[in-house]
Amino acid sequence: MDENERVQNARKEMEQLVADSLKSYKPPVGAFFTNLKEATKAIADGSIRWARKNSLWPMQFGLACCAMELMDFGSSRIDAERKGYLLFRGTPRQCDVMIVAGWVTKSVVPEIKRLYEQMSKPRYVIAYGECAVSGGPWWESYNIIQGIDQVLPVDVYVAGCPPKPENLFEALMKLQEKVGGKVEDKQE
Amino acid sequence: MVKLKISKNELIEKLNEAVKEGYNYLVKITAVDYIDHLEVIYFIRNIENKKEENIRLDIKDGERLPTIVNIFKAADFYERELSEMFGIEIEGRKVERLLLEKWDGLEAPLRKKFEWGADYKRD
Amino acid sequence: MLTKINVGPIHPSTHGVLRLVVTLDGDTIVNVEPHIGFLHRGVEKLVENRMYMQSESYMEKVDYAAPMAYSDLYVSAVEEAMGVHIKERAKYVRLILLELQRIASHLLWLGTFCNDLGQMFTMFMWTMKDRDLVMNLLQDATGSRMFYVNMRVGGVSMDLPPDFEEHAKSLLDYLEKRIKDYEAFLEKNPVFIERTKGVGVLSRKDAINLGVTGPVLRASGVNFDVRSAYTYYAYEKLNFMPQIQVKGDVFARYKVRILEMKESIRLIRDALKEMPEGDALGMPIKLISPPIKEKEVIVRRELPRGEGMMYMVTDKQKPYRLSIRAPAFINLSALNHMAQGAKYADLFAILGSLDLVMADVDR
Repeated sequence: MDENERVQNARKEMEQLVADSLKSYKPPVGAFFTNLKEATKAIADGSIRWARKNSLWPMQFGLACCAMELMDFGSSRIDAERKGYLLFRGTPRQCDVMIVAGWVTKSVVPEIKRLYEQMSKPRYVIAYGECAVSGGPWWESYNIIQGIDQVLPVDVYVAGCPPKPENLFEALMKLQEKVGGKVEDKQE
Repeated sequence: MVKLKISKNELIEKLNEAVKEGYNYLVKITAVDYIDHLEVIYFIRNIENKKEENIRLDIKDGERLPTIVNIFKAADFYERELSEMFGIEIEGRKVERLLLEKWDGLEAPLRKKFEWGADYKRD
Repeated sequence: MLTKINVGPIHPSTHGVLRLVVTLDGDTIVNVEPHIGFLHRGVEKLVENRMYMQSESYMEKVDYAAPMAYSDLYVSAVEEAMGVHIKERAKYVRLILLELQRIASHLLWLGTFCNDLGQMFTMFMWTMKDRDLVMNLLQDATGSRMFYVNMRVGGVSMDLPPDFEEHAKSLLDYLEKRIKDYEAFLEKNPVFIERTKGVGVLSRKDAINLGVTGPVLRASGVNFDVRSAYTYYAYEKLNFMPQIQVKGDVFARYKVRILEMKESIRLIRDALKEMPEGDALGMPIKLISPPIKEKEVIVRRELPRGEGMMYMVTDKQKPYRLSIRAPAFINLSALNHMAQGAKYADLFAILGSLDLVMADVDR
């Protein structure tokens, strides 16, 4: 009887150990052929992110002096098309990125909100220039909003007055990292 | 720079005389706020012989200015801006706001008694 | 049956943020009403709380397509309030830089004007490349690409570098060829001629009564230019001639600006030959509150968009009142008169020919 009990206890312990170890086992993320459903999901996600980050279409929203540098950014000397940021589009439905360039007054805020809500998800915002970051040299005026991030959620800030167009290039490359998944991206 | 200081009732007469003498181009209408009275200045110019003249008048709080739109059509935008920035009322035509259109609560920002920067807050 | 159309504030073809409410009868315009104030930040009120030389960089941001012209206007007002005369060589240096700024501003206008007529970025790419080369030359002379802040009381902040003359001469030869190309490209194009000749006519009497300035006034046959009427710097020694056209339509305004560009090239060449030797530096900017002698000052300059004027009432350390006359403000008010009876598609040709910068309209 003692031997049977001992054997049964040992068997129960073995089964429990096996069940415990199976619970804490997770298949590694990058490994293929563990689970077909997860593998296709990873491939599809990665390729969609690759396609999105290499074809960000900006929406023109030049309000003031920083719009001069945006025009320079799109023209032939500092070419924006070679990295995929095509010609600035007029309608917000086709665009991914909204580059806010220039000082924002209280009269313009309803228009900005309406345009932002018309863009289709996922959508990003870049604040270009000192006036969009924090109000700029006009921070004491009676008609100015101190920075666009009091109204919209901003992803990348570019400082300068006005920043050179090469700075906008670097800002768009950082945004590409965010779209590609290296930095955590909260979209509803 | 010839300076003429006149009273409010002679304004339209003086301007008609000046137009007959050849001063037919209005450059600007502006105002300065000395604290007990306001001074309104009209800059006019003769295009043929390039001479300029200023016409000045004093106004206290609550008085009204006559409109000069029938003499110079350029006075349209200038009078609208003057009335909303300084709080001067203009009689003779309906004057709408120009630069501060959506903010009905903002009254006469260019007066010295308007405390600017009072709206500034950042957390 | 009248319909109302809203040309909204954010539009690819209005230069800046401008709202127009257009009343149409079929396809003909009956009334145009502009609503402005979307870029108003109260510069005239902000300046009253800063010392004199601290607000030079505010003045540059009023007209951001030609910033050096406004900065020159403001510093001249401070100089006249102090009773200081600028040095001889500084007059020629300022003239050269201001005429280069005028060429850059007119090139920008040409690119965006052809955009409005439907040419879809061809002329825009060419003129922006030329403007970039002119801005490189200005960067050699002042140190910065867009907001220069190089005017000081009594002169400029940096003298011209030693190799400026060769670079300027080769750039001016290149620009002459390109302006000939632009003329040949546009003036033999039947679409351009149909869209601009006879459109938006402004007669001489109306132009003077409505108070317009700059190339819009000179295209209607009025011989008035501040550089020859109230002359300043060295324009009289270099025999400056204002350019005038008679017809008063959109094509005449385009032609006046092209001729002004050619005249600027000629002025720069002559000024480089006749420039005297000496010292062009002004007072350093640490002298922020200078000693003031006059009570009231009026200064006029010819900006690329028209005539600008400043009227300043001075106090000991800060200006008591600064009143700016902006040329684009009064040019916009003539839009309703010019657009009566035209078709709806002509509205953008007329609006483009006025050369507006919206930050200038609502300071």
